[in-house]
Amino acid sequence: MTTSAQLFRDGDTDLAFKARWWTSRVLLYGALILWAFVCLFPIYWTITTSFKAAKDVTQGTMVPWLDFQPKWLGWKSLGLSPETITQVSTVRDEFLRRFFNSAVISVSSSILAVALGSLAAYGLSRFSYRFLWMKNSDISFFFLSQLILPPVVLALPFLVLYKELDLLDNRIGLIALYTLSVLPIVIWIMRDQFEGIPTELEEAAMVDGLSIWGAFLTIILPIALPGMVAALILSLVLTWNEYFFAALLTSTYANTLPVMVASQTGSQGISWWSMAALSFAAILPLIVIGVALERYIIKGMASGAVK
Amino acid sequence: MKVGLYNYAVRAGLTRRGVLKGAASVGALSAMGGAANIAFTAPALAQDDLRAQILAIPGVGNGSPTDADYQKVGELCLGPTKANVAEGEFAGVELTFMGLNNQNLHNILFRGFLAPWEKYTGAKINWIDLAQADYNPRLQQAIATNTVDFDIVEMGAPFEGDTAGRGLLDEMPDWVKTQIQADDLVGYLQPPVGTWDGKSYRITIDGDCHTFSYRKDYFGEGSISGMKDAPTTWAQIAEYSKAVKGQKDPLTGNEAYGFLDPLKYQWGGFGFYFLGDRAAAYAKHPDDPAWLFDPDTMKPRVNNPAWVQAIQDVMDMVAAGVYPADQLNTDPNGTGFTQFLGGVGSSVCWWGDVGSNARTSDSSVVGDVVGFSINPGADKVYNSKTGAWEEKQNFAPNMAYLGWGIYVTSRVSGDEKKRKAAWSAAAHLGGKDISLWMAAYPSGFQPYRNSHFNYDEWAAAGYDKDFVADYLGSNADSYNHPNAAIEPRIPGIFQYYSVAEDELVKGINGQYGSAQETADAIAAAWEKITDQIGRENQVKLYKASLGL
Amino acid sequence: MSEGDRLHVVTADNISPARRMAGHLMIWGSLGVLALVALAQAAQTWGGSDFGFRNWRPTLYAYLLFSVCLCWAQVMLKGETGKRILFVLPAALFVVSLTVFPLLFGVLIALSDWNLSAPDGRKFNGMANIVQMWNDPFYWNALENMVWYCLAILPEYVLAFGLALMLNADIRARKFFRVAFLLPLMLSPVAVSWMIGKSMLVIQPAGPVIRLAKWLGYPNPSFFSDPLTAKITIMLMDAWTFVPFMMIMILAGLQAIPKELQEAARVDGATGWRAFWEVTFPLMLPVSITALLIRLIFKLKLADVIINVTSGGPGGATDSVTSFIFREYRDRSNVGYGTLLAMVYLVIIVLVMTVLMKFADKALRPRT
Repeated sequence: MTTSAQLFRDGDTDLAFKARWWTSRVLLYGALILWAFVCLFPIYWTITTSFKAAKDVTQGTMVPWLDFQPKWLGWKSLGLSPETITQVSTVRDEFLRRFFNSAVISVSSSILAVALGSLAAYGLSRFSYRFLWMKNSDISFFFLSQLILPPVVLALPFLVLYKELDLLDNRIGLIALYTLSVLPIVIWIMRDQFEGIPTELEEAAMVDGLSIWGAFLTIILPIALPGMVAALILSLVLTWNEYFFAALLTSTYANTLPVMVASQTGSQGISWWSMAALSFAAILPLIVIGVALERYIIKGMASGAVK
Repeated sequence: MKVGLYNYAVRAGLTRRGVLKGAASVGALSAMGGAANIAFTAPALAQDDLRAQILAIPGVGNGSPTDADYQKVGELCLGPTKANVAEGEFAGVELTFMGLNNQNLHNILFRGFLAPWEKYTGAKINWIDLAQADYNPRLQQAIATNTVDFDIVEMGAPFEGDTAGRGLLDEMPDWVKTQIQADDLVGYLQPPVGTWDGKSYRITIDGDCHTFSYRKDYFGEGSISGMKDAPTTWAQIAEYSKAVKGQKDPLTGNEAYGFLDPLKYQWGGFGFYFLGDRAAAYAKHPDDPAWLFDPDTMKPRVNNPAWVQAIQDVMDMVAAGVYPADQLNTDPNGTGFTQFLGGVGSSVCWWGDVGSNARTSDSSVVGDVVGFSINPGADKVYNSKTGAWEEKQNFAPNMAYLGWGIYVTSRVSGDEKKRKAAWSAAAHLGGKDISLWMAAYPSGFQPYRNSHFNYDEWAAAGYDKDFVADYLGSNADSYNHPNAAIEPRIPGIFQYYSVAEDELVKGINGQYGSAQETADAIAAAWEKITDQIGRENQVKLYKASLGL
Repeated sequence: MSEGDRLHVVTADNISPARRMAGHLMIWGSLGVLALVALAQAAQTWGGSDFGFRNWRPTLYAYLLFSVCLCWAQVMLKGETGKRILFVLPAALFVVSLTVFPLLFGVLIALSDWNLSAPDGRKFNGMANIVQMWNDPFYWNALENMVWYCLAILPEYVLAFGLALMLNADIRARKFFRVAFLLPLMLSPVAVSWMIGKSMLVIQPAGPVIRLAKWLGYPNPSFFSDPLTAKITIMLMDAWTFVPFMMIMILAGLQAIPKELQEAARVDGATGWRAFWEVTFPLMLPVSITALLIRLIFKLKLADVIINVTSGGPGGATDSVTSFIFREYRDRSNVGYGTLLAMVYLVIIVLVMTVLMKFADKALRPRT
């Protein structure tokens, strides 16, 4: 390992070792750069494609200005190019409405899931429950099993259920469903979090006169915050990108962005530029979140799992 | 071909005059000049100005039209609406419109067209946009779970069995028929298409057939195919596809390829039409309207020698390796738009959008070298009645899908104001002048009215007249072909197509031993669907749709 | 109740009979309201009597009221113990309310012959769907594909571990690399399918990956024509999206390893590989198992990419169970059979996951 290599550097300065150190550095950075390229190129490709005309798409040009002249084609079809931004555009209105829906639905359901999930995870990590035949591990598995459910099983029942409850094409309906779908993963992550926090903390707090809920809210939650942020971000990613149920259960008022991306295809071919522009606009918020909150994700994820 | 077209144009002109007479008696329409396109006799009317004016938005060669263009066209074509609806008449009415959102056309186009209509009438329209692949399931789910939540729907004729057959549609009022000038529709779109049990339900906004598009620079003296003229039979297509293998494309300089079959046929049912193109030539006998099922028993014909021959033709081309790499994962979108319009491959059977897009779409690089004709034919045709091949040339253009239409659902039937609003919105989209624009620019719709075949109008819009005559001619020839293969409007037809696609792809990928086994698998799956849906009922509806 | 709790709390609640009474009253009272509303609505739906309901919302509200009362009553009845139950109860009530009806109705559908186009609607047909499934080679084929897809998790895990180790090493621009490696996880599968699956891999001859392959010397690269290549390509695309997920979990674990442990290992003379195998890897075992299990669950749902890119082709070689059912369901409206397949799949998954989790629990217990 490179860290261990460093330890020896002071004492040992013979050439052979130095060469080995350099090779390992070159290999390490080579691998890092290669993988970073693999991760970033598709995003680069999406961005550049949104500025290409048909000819450039068919030729697969790569570098703007060098081998193709960027055009606002893709963004123009969304009504988001400099030239169309001032004009009326039904596509842009549609895009913005869906963007707003996506944001409201994914943020609310993620927050709800983290709230419900943290409570449940805390309870499961601290107390033994017994409900009928189910013990803690069974209850955990019960929650987890919701994650396993293939969405197609629930499709038609949900359609009927939501129709009867007047929740079709309704943000609340979608929020409830999304909360259900990310709750298990939140519970899993948060349980690991809480298990990593020593119980002595609450015990001390309760000796000081706090109730169990008081101890949980004032002592434990702040410690578990990074984990909650991680769970929240993961939930956001999953709900923001969900397609199947969004396509099934919404029509006019509550529809989301992924449905719009998917509907770019059909019998009239694909305008890659607008597809790319729309895809990029759809992934941009998550990229921003990733860049801004990346620290918390890693800090929060499974920090309790190593003992 | 050109003679046929000429006759066609004359007939079209006559119909138009007939319409004019009818309209004059109504009074309101002629006051608006709504029907007065008599281009052949009196080219100076204001209406021609309107048609010329909308065709100049944005003008051929100025890239794809934008939303502002749609709204401008919608505004200019409000005349017929204004004749029937007072300003602000529908204030407070909210309607829901379900349609496709293919590539930001269809519903996006309608939004633009209807924005001025909404402003004028005061109604508000909410939109349900669907991806093409989601369309059929969404419709079926809505019907089965009783969740029809739309007042106006963009729908293809094949679904009439599912909707009109169950009383979900509202019958078209007579004033709408007058406003859209329904008798201007080309022959094969006239009733019984669009009607059910003798009642009309459909405002046609599209005409559909597959035509053969090819690259003119592949054929002629000294061309890489070595053929003097474009191929007209499937045998010639196989032959030339093999001939150009390994050569360079004269336009792009990349590898040259022949005919493009979408070997990944799976396309939610729409992919099956592309096998139908090949099969119709062998299977659609001029004396027999049926070619998919036996009309008396619903026994599938898809495993008879004709269909097997079509599948075998594809398999032979696969074996010969004449397709571009990765063709096995190319769906019809890929062959039509990515490949053919992008300059890969040299011929394809497709709906006519390829034609109008070749010149006007941003995605086309082949605009200058593309030619059109009706679908290729065959040198023999199978007669299902005698169970024998007949050695004679047979052409049978595939009227795939019969085009999109606008329908109004029975949700509005009880509310007269809402009903009128819904029909008025639908009629606006099906108007005569607006339709010309839709046929000429990328819209997802093809020409479907006799008045669309006036080449001078197209030339004025900036199209090359020869190109238009060629492109429109191939459509007109297909629409009017005596042996056109017309599909049934029975419930669940897309289930049949979709399962056939799956089995076909398995066959092409070698999961079945032969073309015959593949066809047998399709037939078996079809039998199962027929039993599931109800054989007796299907027989009845199939016969009705064939006019038997 | 409290034996085995990790958190030991002395509870001495004095619950008066009046409070107990009030608690019971709340539960049964609200349950009564719920029952009444539900009955009234059922009567309207099936019995023809008219109470003026427009939909089943009132029942939903009654259920919400019942839930609140039930939670509250726990505290009234059981005091401190009740407050503990309060942690889990809301989540449990939420999940139960949203899954019970759909699952029960799902079972009913699974045992029916229901083609949405059939004018007669749903017909109960008992075991016929199961028989059909048994004889459907393409369902079994999809199941077999799933096994391969799941096995692909192991190389993914190795890759994720390697990436995590690299990020945990002493490198410059760590922040940049971490963000870059994380990004694929954020992208919507629909966008990935189109922009990578189609735009980069399929479009001939422009796709950059195609040109790369040509440059590397493959004359006619195609990624979805041959069953094996197609399967591997799908695996790679899926891995691209989800490797970052395992990677961050492992990285988080690596960063939580106390520095002293590694120092100690080094003092003992363990370097490089040995230090990794003897110190790091065992410490990472719990987090690895968690990561693998969660990854497995996501893998079992694999569908979006396949539906959009290959539709299961060529010839079913890339079909996952979900994408197969999806086609049966969406393209053929064959709801009954499709739901049965999904139910069977669910049973298989639950069995496999139960076994795996028991196994994982056992493997971890001695260490914790």
